[in-house]
Order: sequence, then C-alpha cells, then structure tokens
Amino acid sequence: MIVSELVASAIRMGLPVLLAALGAVYSERSGVVNIGLEGMMITGSFWGAVGAYYAGPLAGMALAVVASVLMALVHAGVSVTFRVDQIVSGVALNILAYGAARFSSITLFQKATMSPHVQGFTPISIPGLDQISWLKPLVSNVSPLVVVGLLLVPFSYWLIEKTVFGLRLRSVGENPLAADTLGLKVFHLRYAGVLLSGVLAGLAGAYLSVEHTGMYVEGMTQGKGYIALAAMIFGNWSPVGAMGAALLFGLAESLSFRVVESAVVPYQFIKMIPYVLTLVVLAGMLKRTTPPAADGIPYEREEA
Amino acid sequence: MRKRYRYLALEMASPLVAIAFAVLVGAVVMGAIGKNPVEVYRIMFTFAFRRLDSVGIILFGATPLVFSGLAVAISFRVGLFNIGVEGQYLIGTFLAALTGFALRGLPSFIHLPLVIAMAALGGLLWSLLPIYLKVRRGVHEVITTIMLNYIAFSLIHYLIADVFMDKQQGLMPGVGNPLIRLPKIAPSALMPRMHGFLALFGVDLPRHVYLNWFFPLGLLLAVAVHYLIWRTAFGYELRAVGHNPAAAEAAGIQPASVQTKAFLLSGLIAGMTGLSDLLSYFGYMDLDFPKGYGFTGIAVALMGKNSPLGIVLAALLFGFLSRGAEGVQTFAAVPMDTVVILQGVMILSIVVASAVMGRYIRRQERKEALGA
Repeated sequence: MIVSELVASAIRMGLPVLLAALGAVYSERSGVVNIGLEGMMITGSFWGAVGAYYAGPLAGMALAVVASVLMALVHAGVSVTFRVDQIVSGVALNILAYGAARFSSITLFQKATMSPHVQGFTPISIPGLDQISWLKPLVSNVSPLVVVGLLLVPFSYWLIEKTVFGLRLRSVGENPLAADTLGLKVFHLRYAGVLLSGVLAGLAGAYLSVEHTGMYVEGMTQGKGYIALAAMIFGNWSPVGAMGAALLFGLAESLSFRVVESAVVPYQFIKMIPYVLTLVVLAGMLKRTTPPAADGIPYEREEA
Repeated sequence: MRKRYRYLALEMASPLVAIAFAVLVGAVVMGAIGKNPVEVYRIMFTFAFRRLDSVGIILFGATPLVFSGLAVAISFRVGLFNIGVEGQYLIGTFLAALTGFALRGLPSFIHLPLVIAMAALGGLLWSLLPIYLKVRRGVHEVITTIMLNYIAFSLIHYLIADVFMDKQQGLMPGVGNPLIRLPKIAPSALMPRMHGFLALFGVDLPRHVYLNWFFPLGLLLAVAVHYLIWRTAFGYELRAVGHNPAAAEAAGIQPASVQTKAFLLSGLIAGMTGLSDLLSYFGYMDLDFPKGYGFTGIAVALMGKNSPLGIVLAALLFGFLSRGAEGVQTFAAVPMDTVVILQGVMILSIVVASAVMGRYIRRQERKEALGA
C-alpha cells in the first residue's frame, strides 16, 4: 500500500519531466539539442492556465501546445535553418519565454507572477483495477494526462524504432550527409523532431499549471526542462530509459516532500535533491551512454 | 583592401540589424496591446537621456552586466558556455557580504579589497565542479552549471534565512517586520560613490543615484580582458582552443588545461558581478538580492560579440533599456517586461544575423580567392 502510494506520487511528480524528456528524445534523435525545453515548458504552463481559465482544461492543453510549438518553431528556424549554435539558440529562447510569460501575465491578469485558479480535468479511475486494494492508489483518481503520458512511452518507442518516419528521424541524427544523399529531407525531419519536442514540452508545462497546481505561478517549472534533458541522457536517448529516469526524479521529489514533513533536514537542502541527483547521475553515468552521432551539429548542405 | 573594410563594416552592422529587428518586434508587441509604439519609444529616449539622474542610473545598471558579460565571454572564447554566472555571483556576493559584516575595525584599504577578493573566490569555487566534470568526465557544462545555479539559490536561502540572519535589526516599535537579510556590512568595506569625484567636474549627481567606483573598475577589467585575449600567449591559446580544439592540440596546446584556466577565470570575474549592488546600494544581502544578472550577461556577451568593447556597449544598451522601461511603465503604462522580450529577440536576431553575415563573407572571400 505504502509502496504503491509512493509510486503513484512519483508518477505524479515525475510526469512533467517524463513528457519533456520524451520530447527531448525526438529532438535529439533528429540531431538537435534542445536546451530551450525549459522555455517551452514555461510557455506551456502559462498558456495552459490561460486556456483552462477561459475555456476549460482541454482548451488549456491545446493552447499550451500551440504556444510551445511556436517557440519550438523559433528554435528550429534559428538552429536548423540558420545553423546557429543550438545551445545559444535554446538559452536565448528561455530568456524570451520568461519575458513573454511575464508580459502576457501582466497584460491578461494584471499580475506578473500568477494566474487566477483554474479547473483541471476530472480525475479518472480505471474500472475493475480500482477494486484491487493494493493497486488502488495507482489506478483511482488519476489525471487523464498521467494516463496519456504513460501511454506515450510505448507509442514513442514504436514511432521511433519501428516506423519509417522513426528510421528517417534517427538517420538524420546519426548521419545527415548520408541521409541527404539518399534523398531524405534533413531540414524537414529536424523540424519535425524539434516541433514534436515542442508539443510534449507544452503538455508538460500545462500539466504543471492546470493539473498539478491549479494555477500558473512564475518559476513553477523550477528547471524541470533541464532536468528532463538530464533524464533523457540518463535514459540513453530512448523513450523507455527516459521514463525510468523521470520516475527516479519523481521519486526523489515525492520523497523529499515526505522528509520535509518530518523536518530533520532544513528544507532548502531537500529542495536541492533533484538538482544534486541530476549532477550525480550525469557525473557517474555519462560514459555508458551514446548520443546520436550528429547530435548538436548543424547540418550544412554543400554550398556552391 | 577596400573589400576588407567592407567586410568589417558588414560584420559590425549585424548587431545594428538585430537591434532594429528587436525594435520592430517590440513595436508589434506594443501595437498588440493598443499602445502607440512611436510614442512609447519617444518616451523611452527622452526619459533616459534628458535627465541627469537617468544617465547615472544607466551607468549604475550597466555595471553588473559588464562583469557578467565579460565572464560569459571568456568562457565563450574557449568554446565553453558558462550558464552558471548566476550561481557564481550569488555565492560570490554571499562570501563578500560575510567578510563585510563579520570583520570589524579593518581600515578601508584592506577591508574593501579583501571583500572583493572573497567575491571572486566565491565565483571561482562555484565554477570548479563544472569544469572538473567537463574535462574529466565529459559532462556538458551547460547542464551542470544550470543545476549548480539551482543549488546555489537554495544554499543562499538557507545561509541567509537559517544561519546568518540579522536578528538585531533596528525596527521602530510596532512597525514593520524584520527583513530576512544578513547583518549590515561594515562601512570600511563599502564602495564609495562617484558623486564627489564628478562634482569636481561640475556634474552634480542626485543622491538617489548609486553610481559607484565599480563602474570604472568594470571598464578597467574590460581593458585587461582585451589585453589578455589579444596580447598574451595565454590569450592566443584561448582563441586557438575555442576555434578548433583538435588543431590546437596538434599544435602542442593542451585544450583541457586552457579550458580549465579560462573557465575558472570566468567564474572569478562572475563572482564580482553582484558587488556594485551589494557594496553601494544595499549594504547587506537579503533574499530579494537581484537575480538574473547571469542570464542577462549571456545576452550582453552575445550582443557584444564576445569583445570587451562590444560588451561595455551592450551593457550600456541594456542599462538604457531597463531605465527606459521604468519610464514607459510610469508614463505610458507599458509593462517593464517588454524589455525582457526585447532582449530575447535581440539575442536571437543577433546570432542569426552574425551567422548569415559570417557565411556571406566567407563565401565572398572564397570566390575572391578562386578568382585571384
């Protein structure tokens, strides 16, 4: 019972990291590093709250995705078409997203740092399974987004590993020149990878504001976009691995809340746990992982 | 030879193109919320340049950005991204504040330099782990420095609120709450303002302007960094590694060693970013101590194309933008945060403009070489 409750809370906490990390998998498998995930999540969390405030949670999700994809489009344009360093582009995007969220928040809600309270989805229970007592915390009263997020893991695995689109996406991330020679549209595929990461980062942000907190609060992403990148690296650029790492961070976070209640350690140190964990994970695990060969390298067609 | 100058002019033009583009985007944003952009920009300029206090405030506002911009630029030069200036300066500011309030009775000519050195040390300490992990374990410095920023936020919060908080704050009885802040820094560690010096030249700065000697110090540092990059052997290695680590290694330079030195230097400069605010404006460190200089420093470095002169100009531009934003917020009811959007758009457009311009110039040069 305790264990399944803990797992359930790890999933709730880890979901935004999971969604954004899945997005990072698409982007990086196509060869584009996406440091801008954080900014896309900020955008998603703000516009998710706006949509949910005016027209309900579904509209929130839709608006979050649209806004975040627009940010992704900027990242793709700057880093793929204009071949600007992808880190520079992502960092700039994060600054832009922060300013845009503050500006829009003041314009819409007269407050820079928070939105009014918004209504989330009605939680669902999985019929049948919710009758089994030890499974109950896992399958009753869960956000539909949690279900969608978890289903996206096998779906992404299938899309990336088993379909023609996935094969093409991976080949422009591994060897864009060869892919180009074979007639694949390198730029289009990289745009697709980055835009898909925008969709997922938008959902991740909207989950935070609409489902998790019930309002937009400035700084609510708390670096989860960066942690998602680390989770993706830890998960070796694969959807299933990313899920494992995201749940680990979720577990760390939900454990930290329990420790805060017992108040043995100052809470500021508890707050550090996810970031310290990320550092430890990256410092210890990186040698085993293998990024796509052309990850982070802009592709230049030979110019006459 | 004429061509050379034409290319140079083109290269210098790209920041201007970026500014123009950002101004245009800003105009669209203002139009979208029903403000007249021409009027808003006019208010921005007159507010910033027609008033003496505004000019002083612009210079004061540019001061931390000169430090953070130079810090970011040095790491850029060697091919590393120091996104951690943010955490580095907060740790530096804390150590400086600690040295400032804990030591009493020192003469100013010892105390002030000591406090500055402690700030630099703090920045250096906070940059040790990222460069170690980069060089030894191949962990990307962007992720590690970002994580360390968040760790620094929490650590500073703990140190200010739980360990060193000033419990002896003089409050009027029954009025106000004690601030969550460190004790006040000893007067011997404060940086004097420039009012007296400027008065010698007949410039009478109002009292609410906090322009202090860290501004000229920042300019001196910019000169020193310029000298380091372009006139010393280490500067040559720095540029070589930044340009092409493999080629540098083939030429007998050790990239890891050069990267380490450059990154630690970057952290050291970063550590001093908060001093102008700490030692002249606040006189103590509190939980609301200005954040974000590290990120703006990235923008400043990109805008200034990593050259010290460019960085000083970009810092002044950003100082002008935020002072101008105060003006338009007051007189035209346009949210100040428009400026952050302007900055973001400026960075994006400058990197795109320099990429496009750089490629155009290279292509022309290749054509010329083939034609000759």
